[in-house]
Amino acid sequence: MRSIRTVATVALAAVFALALAACGSSSSSSSSSTSTSAALSSGGFQSPLTQPLTGGKRGGTLQVLNEADFEHLDPGIAYYSVDYEVVFATQRPLYSNKPNTASEATPDMASGPPEITPDNKKITVHLREGIHFSPPVNREVTSEDVAYALARGANPNVANPYFQSYFAAIEGAPKATGGPLAGITTPNKHTIVFKLTEPKGQIVADSLVLPLTAAVPKEYAEKFDKHKPSDYGSYQVATGPYMLKNNAEGKVLGIGYVPGKSATLVRNPKWNASSDFRPAYLDEIQVKIGGTTSVIGRQVLEGTNVVENDALVAQSVVRLAAEKFKSQLSISPGAGSHYIALNNKVGPFSNINLRKAVWAALDRASLVKARGGSLVTDVATHFIYPTIPGFDQAGGLAGPKVDYNEHPEGNAAIAEKYIKLAGYPSGKYTGGQTLTIVGSRGNPAEQDAEIVNQTLKNLGFATKFTLVETPTMYAKFCSVPKEEITVCPSVGWIADFADPQTVLNITFNGTTITATGNVNWGQTNVPKINQAMAAGESVAGTSARATAWAKIDTELVENASAVPFDWDKQGNIEGSRVAGVGDLWDIGEWDYSWTSLK
Amino acid sequence: MSLGGAEALSGPGGGLDVLDVGGDIAGRTPWQLFWRRLRQDRVALVSLGFIVFLILLAFAAPLVIRVLGLPGPNVQNLNLTDSFGSPLGPSSAHPFGVDPLGQDVMSRVIYGTRASLEVGIIGTAISTLIGVVVGLLAGFYGGWVDTLLARTMDVFLSIPILLLGLGVGSACAVKGCAKGLIQPGLGVIIFLIALTTWPFFGRIVRGLVLSLREREFVDASIALGASDLRIMFKEILPNLAAPIIVYASLQIPFNILIEAALSYLGVGIRPPTASWGQMIAAATPIFSTAWWYMVFPGAALLATVLAFNLLGDGLRDALNPRSAR
Repeated sequence: MRSIRTVATVALAAVFALALAACGSSSSSSSSSTSTSAALSSGGFQSPLTQPLTGGKRGGTLQVLNEADFEHLDPGIAYYSVDYEVVFATQRPLYSNKPNTASEATPDMASGPPEITPDNKKITVHLREGIHFSPPVNREVTSEDVAYALARGANPNVANPYFQSYFAAIEGAPKATGGPLAGITTPNKHTIVFKLTEPKGQIVADSLVLPLTAAVPKEYAEKFDKHKPSDYGSYQVATGPYMLKNNAEGKVLGIGYVPGKSATLVRNPKWNASSDFRPAYLDEIQVKIGGTTSVIGRQVLEGTNVVENDALVAQSVVRLAAEKFKSQLSISPGAGSHYIALNNKVGPFSNINLRKAVWAALDRASLVKARGGSLVTDVATHFIYPTIPGFDQAGGLAGPKVDYNEHPEGNAAIAEKYIKLAGYPSGKYTGGQTLTIVGSRGNPAEQDAEIVNQTLKNLGFATKFTLVETPTMYAKFCSVPKEEITVCPSVGWIADFADPQTVLNITFNGTTITATGNVNWGQTNVPKINQAMAAGESVAGTSARATAWAKIDTELVENASAVPFDWDKQGNIEGSRVAGVGDLWDIGEWDYSWTSLK
Repeated sequence: MSLGGAEALSGPGGGLDVLDVGGDIAGRTPWQLFWRRLRQDRVALVSLGFIVFLILLAFAAPLVIRVLGLPGPNVQNLNLTDSFGSPLGPSSAHPFGVDPLGQDVMSRVIYGTRASLEVGIIGTAISTLIGVVVGLLAGFYGGWVDTLLARTMDVFLSIPILLLGLGVGSACAVKGCAKGLIQPGLGVIIFLIALTTWPFFGRIVRGLVLSLREREFVDASIALGASDLRIMFKEILPNLAAPIIVYASLQIPFNILIEAALSYLGVGIRPPTASWGQMIAAATPIFSTAWWYMVFPGAALLATVLAFNLLGDGLRDALNPRSAR
């Protein structure tokens, strides 16, 4: 799970079960099906749900123009969408998603679905045979390489960002520092077994789509992992259809990846097409880093064999594409959500009725418009967003039926009602406490912040309003509880893979609050909800998990833990000769293994 | 005293100007002469008129927007954006168009005048005051006092104001610094401007005082037993009025640009308070779809800075007619 940042949004990955439509079908009515299809609408433009996965032309070089540089290309560290497109083209995790799904994982390095024991405490995965590492390693991949890949996630020199979130249930994982994990065994060269200390087989199995599970050859990588930080990413080898261009010693840095300038992906000579479900049409992918999204956008729209793969295409470019380059715009639903974090612990918003008043008063329709309008956003009414199982069960587009949630354009009378219930008879806040609001600079977060600020002023609050850079907002203020920021007006979240726990647990579970790097921004800490989440972690089966977590979602809405306002869709653009295929599980970013040239 | 068709008058620099006035001869003060010269400079007069208009506009901003039928500068109306969230352009209801929050750009440009003039005029006034006092002390007393103050001025002159502004703006962003004493916003911008620009005045004044203190009228004052303070502020200072006025008039637009730059960089005036620099910054990424959002505050900034610069030139010419254009 990760917060949405300017340069880094994240991937939705897969669960091993029912398709999204099927998730809702067992318990939802036809109206919720309608709700789902409306939420997945791309406004008549192409989307990952409609882009053909077959029939591409083989060959050619794709140019990629990105404003943002990569954060990490080491599969054990990579966490952001801009990194994921390179990592998933060069590596093969145990499981991965086809571009058109966020909830149906396909065995990738694995040869079949994970086998979970009935007690939900042991997972067995069988690996494909005949998959080899790229030069200079060249040898066949074994289960020990996968075991090492997972173990190095706990190595402080690697410091994988999600290891403890998803793999802590593996025996030995909580105290691991990079050495072999007691809970991971490799009975033979092509079988790996995960032994868990808690019945969390489902969520651990679901998380095997994460790139940390991509094999890493220990004898080659160990020397790099001893460096602090590990520089294996600069010498990495590949298992996927492409590899970062390297020299005979395997060095990538300065050859296949020049920080701040470029990256070059070439075909992996050791890749065996018959063992993979990816077509890998392109011969080469050349990524150019730098520039500004508004300029890059125009270059792409007026170009031929070029795409942009930034986490956020400029709003003005999406509009231009929608008006004049319709066939070159792709709209991807399920690209995360944004909400207003209100400090539940200290200050006026420790009062639930004041939180409800803010929710009622907020003009969410305006916030959505400021974010680019209905083509790229929907008004959020709860926390589980479209494409995540549990969305329909939690109320779909309409959301839970509480009066403060029923007026997307805001309702002053309902807000006044809750302010009175909070103990302010005038219907305006007269408590005298000044709210500290810390927002993020730049469009559209800055506009979100200003709309929220004005709404709070209208309710009678005095505000101290500050805008800072997005990383600063999170790292120094909103993610540091002792700063006691009252309102973080535009925090974003996107799941690591399509399981509702990844949307709600770390962000609203009181037991996850940390002194720094805290992403339970509002410091929600309701024992009943915490307990429900603890129980929800052990629920097995996609449908059952969807139901359990949807109920938690509703409880969060009833607690007005935060004010959700936007479910994102991502606009992505391509040149006129590109037959792009975007990843639904990665905000629609162009997938290099499926995209081709016309 | 008749000079036979011409009149000799003491100019601001202590020299003589010989004016051919013809007819009756009238005695005029230096200020009358200054005004006569300034009136002949049409560019300076137009600039002065524009500045007076700006000052009136800043004071009467609420009245002006009411008369023009414009919404307040912070009134958000997302109905004034299109389906993509792009702001609508100029219309009869919103002559300068609206911004991405549906706020009226004309209204915000008018209110932005306040921030610019406050920073420009108050910042300059404070730096002038400090600079003049320090310059007088340094130039008049000389010796170790001069050395100390001159080196102090050198230190302050070496402070890069934009970097300092960025640093203070970032470090004190949310909770302020010095136990909340320093809070980003208008006050801190004025403080920073005063802090870093007073030495400009100080140096000029010091140099002039070093020269003036050797003049006979100073010797006479000393001989008559005048106190140091009287000599500095009553005898010497009036002779510095012209250069101080000229320099101050040129410093104002510099300060306005500093405010705009800091606001552009996000560490100046806090939103939602309107500031031209902040508007230009917000308009940059959407220029292709909302040109008006950058053009009007940009034009206001340009016109204001130009007006102060041209007026400064005019004042210099009027106060010191021997100066070359």
